[in-house]
Amino acid sequence: MTAGIDVAAAALAPAQAGILPEGLNVSFKLLPAILVSGMLAIFLAIGYVFKVADTEGMWVAGRSIGNVENGMAIGANWMSAASYLGMAALIATSGFYGLSFVVGWSTGYFILLIFMAAQMRRFGKYTAPDFVGDRFNSDTARAIGAVTTFLIGFVYAIGQARGMGLVGLYIFGDLGLLGLSGYQSMVVAMMAITVGYLTLSGMLGATKNMAVQYVILIVAFLAGLYVVGFTNGYSTVLPHIEYGALFSELGREFSEPFVNQGYYLWIATAFSLVVGTCGLPHVLVRFYTVENERTARWSTVWGLGFICLLYLSAPAFAAFGTDLYANQIGPVYQTAESAGMTTAAGDVIVVLAAQLSNLPTWFVGFVAAGGIAAAIATTAGLFITGSSAISHDIYKNLINEDATQRQQVFVGRLSIVALGVITTLAALDPAAPIAALVSYAFSLAGAVLFPMFFLGLWWENTNRQGALAGMTTGLVIWTIPMINEVVPAYGILAEAAGSDEVLSATLAQWVPAIGSALIAVPLVFVVTIAVSLATPEPPKETKQMVRQCHSPEPMGQQQTAEDAVTGDDGPAPADD
Amino acid sequence: MYDNILIPTDGSEAAQNAVEHAVDLAEQYGATIHALYVVDVDATNLTLGTEQVDRIRQGRIGEMPEVQAEADEATGLVADAAATRGVSVEEHVTAGSPSRAIRNFVADNDIDLVVMGSHGRSGLSRVVLGSVAEKVLRRTRVPVLVVDLNDEDE
Repeated sequence: MTAGIDVAAAALAPAQAGILPEGLNVSFKLLPAILVSGMLAIFLAIGYVFKVADTEGMWVAGRSIGNVENGMAIGANWMSAASYLGMAALIATSGFYGLSFVVGWSTGYFILLIFMAAQMRRFGKYTAPDFVGDRFNSDTARAIGAVTTFLIGFVYAIGQARGMGLVGLYIFGDLGLLGLSGYQSMVVAMMAITVGYLTLSGMLGATKNMAVQYVILIVAFLAGLYVVGFTNGYSTVLPHIEYGALFSELGREFSEPFVNQGYYLWIATAFSLVVGTCGLPHVLVRFYTVENERTARWSTVWGLGFICLLYLSAPAFAAFGTDLYANQIGPVYQTAESAGMTTAAGDVIVVLAAQLSNLPTWFVGFVAAGGIAAAIATTAGLFITGSSAISHDIYKNLINEDATQRQQVFVGRLSIVALGVITTLAALDPAAPIAALVSYAFSLAGAVLFPMFFLGLWWENTNRQGALAGMTTGLVIWTIPMINEVVPAYGILAEAAGSDEVLSATLAQWVPAIGSALIAVPLVFVVTIAVSLATPEPPKETKQMVRQCHSPEPMGQQQTAEDAVTGDDGPAPADD
Repeated sequence: MYDNILIPTDGSEAAQNAVEHAVDLAEQYGATIHALYVVDVDATNLTLGTEQVDRIRQGRIGEMPEVQAEADEATGLVADAAATRGVSVEEHVTAGSPSRAIRNFVADNDIDLVVMGSHGRSGLSRVVLGSVAEKVLRRTRVPVLVVDLNDEDE
């Protein structure tokens, strides 16, 4: 491919089958293994202790979740292996280009804060496809929304599986399952653990202990950064700024922007990540359920703050890792004699930096455990969102309206297993580094769901026909570059692809898979608006509902836009 | 003999199947029927998402009209059946894991008989779902009458 990750892609091709981060100490390590298992056990135990109590009648109002805790939940749900490992990896391998991830992933929250968080709360639905289906009064729209949600979960999770596989190698070593390579065995094992964890936590009534997960991952990351910076003499109190002293030694990837990756790709990536953030179902669900609009806004602010703690640290961690790599292993960037650092090593640069600093194994294991916590938490969230798209939005709403809870559990569990299997298969031989894999999901969310949410909430005349045309356009524009760049990496259409592994280099340059939303979003907006104008306006109730979503008048705690329109003051009495 | 008869229901055909038996017994003994619908937290997690479980945990189930409607409909069916025979009935809704919630309800409400339907599942769906009736049967001390759904369906 012409762009994005080519620094690494060059080195990637021959080593594809047995992905192995060079320099990483691959062996079974007892203390880190105990740390990781202990961490998962703590998640389950906390869930068990705070289990939803079986009390008589409807619940007595429980403790409500405040802004800060909600913010932590947003942070933990958000920060996956892509943030923990992938971001530093891209900064390490691509320098300045990697910063588009820091910018894109944090800017998205401003759009959410200003245009969507509170409005979403006012609309008040359960799932993203619910919103699309109810706002546009269309089962087809709901179905497209559900399929998109499922696809996002799948693509996003491939990146997580890759991250868990690579970090797992450090902790558990080469398991050598059934003739698979060490990395592949680890992907299979870690995905099995994730699906098992998900099943167990569901049965224990344990949901996400998001605040705990956030604390573990941020402490692991920051402790790693400070200790690595301090022991190597890179930094003292503020590594986030002090790493600048390394710039001149790190190579031009850091000091000269747009040398390797052009300006256009930088903008396309950042734009995709911004709109993707606002369209990701597993991020948005948080806003349907917060106590009120004010909480929705303040949780976004806190969430962004918590996220930035990690994001501002990632570039420094990447710089330290890169320097350690260059001193101890070999050239980081491609030279005449060396292929440079592989994407696999890049993806574990955070762990590698700690290991190369000769820190005790348990400490390196702790840093690695943080990465696994991030990956498992997010994968669990994604799989649940995927399973709800299938069991609630497709099965219950479209196929079998009388489905009982048990039947939905059955469908939901099968969807999770299915997601686990296809994700594992796709991750055995992943097409790109973690951050790039995850960005494909962002492009999809940005291209298909973001315009529907944005227009749906802000322009009352958006109608069913417009939404259907827009979503279809978005899906098509997302699919084309995926076939162009990503599918050939899996061996399909590989003959048709050129030596650069893409079908059309021009297409890859202007509509890169990693940033296809830059092209898709404006087009989807135009198509949706044009079709909506050309077809009959939506029903009056829908319009009133949209107006309710941004009326300046605060709504009661338990109200949604729908109630406000129908004149109900809140929940209907139990027996009318 | 029996004063309080519990009918756990999820609104399904299998559950409905047991109602007739329960109502008949209640009529004979002058017992009160308790219709119980359990919002299955596992189901909520898988179908509506973890955030909705948080919402339930915070006691804000009033914001989930569809869930409430489904619960009311299920217990309503039992209430209707009881009303036609002049049997007194109470409707209850709770949340948690179904078998545990049923057990707790039995303990807290002086229930002396549980009448419940079973799907008589087999194969894959049995492995994935298990049987609530079986778990209740094993773990409660009161008599349990399990009415299997006739095999016309499965």
